[in-house]
Amino acid sequence: MPSNPAKLKIIWLQGITCNGNTHSFLNDPSLGRLLESVEFIHHPLLACTLNLSELVEHLPASDILIIEGSYKADFERAYRRMDSVLPALAAKAEHIVSLGSCASFGGIFKEADPERISGIVFDREKALGPLAEMMPKVITLSGCPVHPKWLTFVIDMIRAGKAISVDEFRRPKELYAYLVHNGCLRNEYFEWKVDSDRFGTKEGCLFYAQGCQAPFTHGSCNKILWNEVSSKTRSGTPCFGCTEPSFPKRELFSTKTYMSIPAEVPLGVPKRSYLALTGAAKSFHIKRLEERLIDDNA
Amino acid sequence: MITHELIERIEGEAVLDFRTDREGRVEEANIRFLHFRGMEAILEGRNALDALVIAPRVCGICGHSHLIAAARMLENLYQNGGEALPITSKAYAIREITRLCEVMQNHIKWLYLVMLHESGKLLKLEPPSALKALYVSSKINQLCALFSGQWPHSSYALPGGVTCDPTHIEVMQALKILSEVEGFVREDILGCDVQAYEYTLSDGSLLGLSGDFGTLLRRFEELELLESGKSYGRYLALGDEIGVWEKGERSLADLNLVREDGSKSFDQGGNMYAKNALYGGEFYETGPLARAMLTNRTGIANLHNRYGDTALTRLSARVDEVVVILARVEELLRTLELSEASFIPPEPIQTLSAEGVGIVEAPRGSLIHRARIEKGKITAYSIITPTQWNLGNGTATLPGIAQKAMIGADSIAKASLIFRTFDVCSVCTTH
Repeated sequence: MPSNPAKLKIIWLQGITCNGNTHSFLNDPSLGRLLESVEFIHHPLLACTLNLSELVEHLPASDILIIEGSYKADFERAYRRMDSVLPALAAKAEHIVSLGSCASFGGIFKEADPERISGIVFDREKALGPLAEMMPKVITLSGCPVHPKWLTFVIDMIRAGKAISVDEFRRPKELYAYLVHNGCLRNEYFEWKVDSDRFGTKEGCLFYAQGCQAPFTHGSCNKILWNEVSSKTRSGTPCFGCTEPSFPKRELFSTKTYMSIPAEVPLGVPKRSYLALTGAAKSFHIKRLEERLIDDNA
Repeated sequence: MITHELIERIEGEAVLDFRTDREGRVEEANIRFLHFRGMEAILEGRNALDALVIAPRVCGICGHSHLIAAARMLENLYQNGGEALPITSKAYAIREITRLCEVMQNHIKWLYLVMLHESGKLLKLEPPSALKALYVSSKINQLCALFSGQWPHSSYALPGGVTCDPTHIEVMQALKILSEVEGFVREDILGCDVQAYEYTLSDGSLLGLSGDFGTLLRRFEELELLESGKSYGRYLALGDEIGVWEKGERSLADLNLVREDGSKSFDQGGNMYAKNALYGGEFYETGPLARAMLTNRTGIANLHNRYGDTALTRLSARVDEVVVILARVEELLRTLELSEASFIPPEPIQTLSAEGVGIVEAPRGSLIHRARIEKGKITAYSIITPTQWNLGNGTATLPGIAQKAMIGADSIAKASLIFRTFDVCSVCTTH
């Protein structure tokens, strides 16, 4: 890396959004360090060189264009339609980051108008978004929201001039090759098929009844912890699969079952094998896993 | 003259349409929000529990309040359907801790990213570094996440309690973080300890505070805005503190008097997405100032006595709330009874057909979620956000709360700053 590289110029533009990724990003405890190496041409909350009206007027070039929120052609920012702003900014950007599941696949807000709302490259699984042709320079960071460290990792990699290895949705493999299940504190209950009979306890796996999607959801939630300390599953909440194109599914707090095993089995595992394994695991009664973990904590 | 001013840095954007006289004085200010997502329609048809995942996505900065409102709504719905659903004091306390954390980080971001930034712009000062404030906000969110798993967008509160089952490890970590936050509030925001601050609040010498709050007030004084921003001086809180305050009198609030007025919205031929929230057909202010008046918080009540609902009082009420919350969260953490259950399982929601309402005091004021469900499925969902109360649009003769506060301002730039004292949130207002 050069000793005193120029600051990366970043534009952060919002489509149809709740601002969740903006606020998640502000949670990065090393934000100050990052801001020494980048300059925001525009950001919705942080100090930047152009305000929104100036941004859509000048449509400047950037090193990284970050898009937060889902896409709709006639959605306006500062009186300019997205279909005139986004392609112009994208054409002049070296790299594009699709930040969050709305920008990546359409997300929750797609449900309000499924025919016309999509992600910037993908519409759910299909590459039908307005920037589909620019796919080679797009990095997808799905998640609702995205962990701040996932974004700063991508910015650091671009800054260092390193290639980012990606999956079929252009998600960095180093972040999304893992499943949310990896690193879950309840893994042992999963292994021995001990389900959690209710919410609000430390014990049991949430995959069998409470709707947890961690065994088939890509993401580093239990490797790079949320707010540095926790995750959904660590606080007893099921994973809702928010990094996948299918987010949000329905009936999010219950597991659909088939022959008394989850209808959707862990990623890559044949159903038949999983059924056999479950039968075997359940035939053991492991007293330690059926008891409370800590006695004096009700 | 009519001027359209695009307001940014407010969780989205708004347009203020100003009518000014020859001197540039504001005669009328119309508030428009441009974006609409249709959250209620997205919720309808889903399993009622899905609201706990969808509803927080109304807003990136106060989504946790939407979660708690949805959880309370579902509990109320069980109760109306014949199954009383009490939660343990432990579950209640944990929800309070996380809800109050969200309020605190919101107020700190508002102070640094919005008020200090925008007031500085008006005085042609260099934008301040908000890094320390953002670091502290991230620590507050970390405290929240010790219980809620993450912030933003947790779904850890369910009808019946909370999903987490914390140990003393989390409580001790939370107390450590809280003391770090308390240090920031003391050293950076106030510039003195809490006792000395309370003294300055009672003797009216807030402008002498050496911290960033004092800086903000001195800027407002320099801009001659401290005593501007007066509105109706009537207040409403429907969440955790419940009541109406008007002309020095406090009375109980009646939820039946709450109405949403969409007569100016697009779907009824108007030119905006937002719907007004009215109480007894009139505009009421909600939020930190309303909460301070309704709980009769001495310092703020005295300030109100002396200066009315001016910018000074409104700014002070929001900062003062951070100080009050710090003490409250510490008390909740120190008295948390970990041996109680986190969650009492209710009957499956599929058995239930009923209506429910859940109200919470969110950072910007009273937030209401209402729903009707048939056999566990949502058939109707309605959200009234705090900013619908404060940022509603009336008429030239009967303006809304923030509209009235802007009338008479010297310039549209000053009116826009007064607008921001209400802590504007675009995404919530239209949702």
